Amino acid sequence: MSRAKGGCPGAFWVLAVLTACAMALPAGAAELKVATIAPDGSQWMRSMRAGGEQIKERTAGRVVLKFYPGGVMGNDSQVLRRIRIGQLHGGAFTAGGLAERYPALNLYGVPLLFNSLEEVDFVRARLDPKLAAGLEAAGFVSFGFSEGGFANLMANEPIRNVDDLRRKKIWVPEGDAISFLAMESLGLSPVVLPATDVLTALQTGLLDVVANSPVGALVLQWHTKVRYRTELPVSYAMGIFALDARAFDSLTAEDREILREVMGGVMRDIDRASREDNRRAAEVMTNTGVAPIAVTNTDIEGLRSTIETIYPTLRGRADVDVAMFDELLAVIAEFRAQQAESSPADPGR
Amino acid sequence: MAIAAARGRSRRRPVGIPFAWALLSLALACLSGCASLVGGMAADTLQAAILDQNDPELVASGVPAYLLLVDGMISRSGDNEDLLAAGAQLFALYGSRFEPDPARVVRLTEKARGYGERALCLAHKPACSWRGLSYDDFVSQLQTVDRKRIDYLYAYAVSWLSYLDATSEDWSAVAELPWVEAALERALALDETYAEGGLHAYLGILNSLRPPALGGRPEVARQHFERAIELSAGRDLSAKVEYARRYARMMFEQDLHDRLLMEVLAAPVEAEGLTLFNVLAKQEAEQLLATSGEYF
Repeated sequence: MSRAKGGCPGAFWVLAVLTACAMALPAGAAELKVATIAPDGSQWMRSMRAGGEQIKERTAGRVVLKFYPGGVMGNDSQVLRRIRIGQLHGGAFTAGGLAERYPALNLYGVPLLFNSLEEVDFVRARLDPKLAAGLEAAGFVSFGFSEGGFANLMANEPIRNVDDLRRKKIWVPEGDAISFLAMESLGLSPVVLPATDVLTALQTGLLDVVANSPVGALVLQWHTKVRYRTELPVSYAMGIFALDARAFDSLTAEDREILREVMGGVMRDIDRASREDNRRAAEVMTNTGVAPIAVTNTDIEGLRSTIETIYPTLRGRADVDVAMFDELLAVIAEFRAQQAESSPADPGR
Repeated sequence: MAIAAARGRSRRRPVGIPFAWALLSLALACLSGCASLVGGMAADTLQAAILDQNDPELVASGVPAYLLLVDGMISRSGDNEDLLAAGAQLFALYGSRFEPDPARVVRLTEKARGYGERALCLAHKPACSWRGLSYDDFVSQLQTVDRKRIDYLYAYAVSWLSYLDATSEDWSAVAELPWVEAALERALALDETYAEGGLHAYLGILNSLRPPALGGRPEVARQHFERAIELSAGRDLSAKVEYARRYARMMFEQDLHDRLLMEVLAAPVEAEGLTLFNVLAKQEAEQLLATSGEYF
């Protein structure tokens, strides 16, 4: 962490320099350098900067957050490398990106795990604190997670069930081993590409079917190249703002508390806003000509029961936290049992 | 996203009569009901007088009266595409650069967008049914616009962009950006020198709204900004400010950022059709330079 940024020169320096120094950080101030791919000026960055201002004020300038927006510090794994060598102190990551350090963060993203956002809320209320504690033990202090939303299938032909996916070129994000396994279990041939190559791949016919949240699809402009969006909760995405525990622990207890309180509030606001963002983005996609395709429970069940056949394989993987996975499945089962009890006519799945 | 809207103007020469006379003839024309004959020409003169103004406060306080006038003329001569195109750009300019109240900015730029659409519809009939077209259909329709219609295509695109900027909090603005970009690309293909290279500046902005990780194309943005500066022979200071604000900040190139802004501060503001924006650009350059150390 850079302390006493700039190191003010001695009193014999000219007045102009002294004035400039007065505006620099107070001696002993901690500057926490944080990277994110969110563009400057986006709602995410505005909230983060507002949080940073509050922290600076409440710690009387002892803690200053410096942001590197727009992915200027690289992708998740590059940011993690920079944190390891002390160039950065934190970042806003995708859950998958930070799973490199704490694999349990991948679990919410297992394909077709959740049926609905109500299930997500039930599960997250129980397991988010456990995941945050696990992440902290792995060396990262987070201040709560923010929803990225459900990825939906998008294509130029309506996709309703697994048969509609056959013989199609289906995108799997680079580095997403679990989705790759899931596609293979369905007997499909996934095409692995980074998200930034998808638009061109849709244009050239290298891909037929892609998946993203409505917000993600609009930002990446995929809505200009697909005609249908299947309202199937394919997988749940999450964002995490986390600081290197070494940097965090070097702050005073009082400042750590302020940081937790302020950034915790910022993350809760972003988490809530994200749900509304995706709802509105889905509506906008429809308005721009991307037709929503509803799926039946039977179709979802067919897809899910096939995907569940990969669970034993998942359990055998080194990057899967088996205990947490089982707990996650148990919490989902508990929610579905409660639902079934309160409305016996609806099996809840 | 705060895109500077309506930054250029058509390259048609403004009519060579003093501004007061233009205003008088405009008023007389309105009274005598022949606004449609002179409307476009007079509105163009208004636009020239505004864009060559070096006192932004005067423009801020004076333009609303002109907007009312233009509005009145349009309500009488709603079939004059020149008047509508000028109205689109004036409302976009005032809404995006001078009006402080966000709710009014939305109303003003919505009107601008409506005028821009009507102007292009009158000048190019197929455009009357473009709203709601899929992206691919829209792009292929744009190919039917020829060089003679570039004034209207430009007014259509920048007024639409000003509306998207005003409503950028809503996802529909994000969703519609590719359509506007395609319209600007078409205008660029018809004449890249149009509006002193202003088309390049707009495309520079649009290509630097998103970082590369989210599909942005900073290298394309850089080329557009460089070309905009070249085409205006460096006289368009707002192109340099946007280059610094959008590209240099996103790519964390502080040397480029500070160099561009120092150049803006050292340059003369007077340049035909660009003076007003140059004055504003200098003000913005000062603010950006002041926060350079904090940002980088």
